[in-house]
Amino acid sequence: MSHIALTLWAGVVIGLLFGAVGQASGFCLLRGVANSAKGDSRKLRAFMLAMATALLGTQWLAAMGYFSLSNSLYITPSFSWLALPLGGLLFGYGMALANGCGARSLVLLGSGNLRSVVVVMFLGIGAYIALSGVLAPGRIYLEQATSIPLTTQDIAGLVALPGWAVASLLGLPIAAWAFSSADFRASPRDWVSGLIVGSLIPAGWYATGVLGFDDFEPVRLASLTFVAPIGASLQYVMLSTGTRLSFGVAVVGGIILGALITALIRRDFHWQGFQGPGQMARSMVGALMMGIGGVLALGCSIGQGITGMSTLALPSLIALLCILLGAYLGVKGPLALSHMASNHRSLH
Amino acid sequence: MSRSWCIKSALSRRKVLQHGMAGVGLIMLAPFAWASEAWQQLDAAQHLLNGETPIAQGLALDLPHVSEDGSAVPLGIKFDGELADNDYLTDIHLLATGNPQPEIATFRLGELSRYPEISTRVRLNETQHVVAIAKTHQGQTFAVSQEVRITVSGCLMRGEDSQPEPLSNPRVSVNQQVAAGDALEVRTLINHPMETGLREGSDGEPLPRHIIEQFTVRLGDEIAFEAQLHQSISANPYLRFHLTPQQSGELVFEWQDDQGEQAQHTSELSVS
Repeated sequence: MSHIALTLWAGVVIGLLFGAVGQASGFCLLRGVANSAKGDSRKLRAFMLAMATALLGTQWLAAMGYFSLSNSLYITPSFSWLALPLGGLLFGYGMALANGCGARSLVLLGSGNLRSVVVVMFLGIGAYIALSGVLAPGRIYLEQATSIPLTTQDIAGLVALPGWAVASLLGLPIAAWAFSSADFRASPRDWVSGLIVGSLIPAGWYATGVLGFDDFEPVRLASLTFVAPIGASLQYVMLSTGTRLSFGVAVVGGIILGALITALIRRDFHWQGFQGPGQMARSMVGALMMGIGGVLALGCSIGQGITGMSTLALPSLIALLCILLGAYLGVKGPLALSHMASNHRSLH
Repeated sequence: MSRSWCIKSALSRRKVLQHGMAGVGLIMLAPFAWASEAWQQLDAAQHLLNGETPIAQGLALDLPHVSEDGSAVPLGIKFDGELADNDYLTDIHLLATGNPQPEIATFRLGELSRYPEISTRVRLNETQHVVAIAKTHQGQTFAVSQEVRITVSGCLMRGEDSQPEPLSNPRVSVNQQVAAGDALEVRTLINHPMETGLREGSDGEPLPRHIIEQFTVRLGDEIAFEAQLHQSISANPYLRFHLTPQQSGELVFEWQDDQGEQAQHTSELSVS
């Protein structure tokens, strides 16, 4: 098997696992933020545990010399002080509007939720509008006009410690905080999902950085992220004879399939649709905001919040904080949206 | 994996077309179809063809129909047409219809590269046609063109990424054992920014042109393969080609850039 085929198959397997875990556990940052506002922090703790796991695993593999994270998209010599936070806010608020991020929508799609078909399509279209379409020249102008150089690109450089040491200093306390809640400890569905989702991030780095390594035709170092890959998946479905399959697209396909299989096994597959045009419009606008915002912020709640954070890149921290702020604004405060009970799995 | 598939499907499509044409009498229409071939609208191609009408079968380009990264589009070129007994290809020219300069690369094939199958990575700054023109020792010409849709222009790529040290880390992959007459696959890569001279740096000043212009492979004293590269070749030039060595010797690879600097790599080759 060629190194490219190997990377793609690894992507499918990683996607299958993510889809299965996401379906069985309801792993979701938005749910974490919304539930936390009401006093139940278990989903948020699962997300933080995933982040800590990803951070420890990634930095450990990097310290062993398997790959150099400076080749990833998150470690950049400069970043835009305007586009990145703006994108994070857009993504976070759009996530609240559409009631779930890109990855969550893929999982729900596999469980028979037709609303998420609309979310996935509009997210992918929004991403490509900003990435290479009509908004791309404006995005590039904005990014260049507000670009500031980064003398130190990651948190490890800032405190002058090796990455694995910083990962331990940050990751272990975050994991300890997650487990400090008795409710969380008593909910294996949540902490197991955090551990598995978190370990899929280093698995993704390993797939592209080690399995995909070739001196002459290298695969771009990447792990889980769900903005550009959803757009690329839509494009691949339409143009597959003229393009080549990528790792991100293989993951997206794996997630839908993994969620479908799990939903069928758990007898949790239910056809669901929109209840009215208002709900549909809200999902469409939210998904477009996620697509465009996700490109400006260089990633989504998972792409920046877990994968980007695992590289310790400073812009990832900024993006994650802005995504959280955007989501929080959608859940609580003057800009808060009325809760769409029906858009969440209604029997919860 | 998809690469070989593309070449095959392009060939079979051509065969289907040939049969179809004979049946339906489309031969009448063929001249009109030819009038729109990309190489007829490109001055650089017309200059190479020098008034001759090229044979449109035999040469096959392998390019994605859609590319998401115009700064490194994988390109393959292969010849499996028919030639007279003593005839062989002497050079293959690659041209782009929509780049600031049409020339991408010229490959000079010697006695030792009689199996023309070459791959590289090229820059394309917009949706356009790529044209390949091949000439033979006895003066025949072949041409082929293919459209590539570019979704992110090679020019949209931001230029602040860290630049590789020019001419550092030459890498060559070649089987050290080969049977005489068999095609030997050679893959080469070297670090080089291939700065086009068309971009601006972060200070707004144009970055000076700095590219590898010449790549030469020698077996003993004989030139086995030669490539002239232009700024449409992607950074860190990658070249894959085939040699048909008849005897053992030392393969010497040499890259030379426009500032006169050069890098070398040698591999021992044993032909049985």
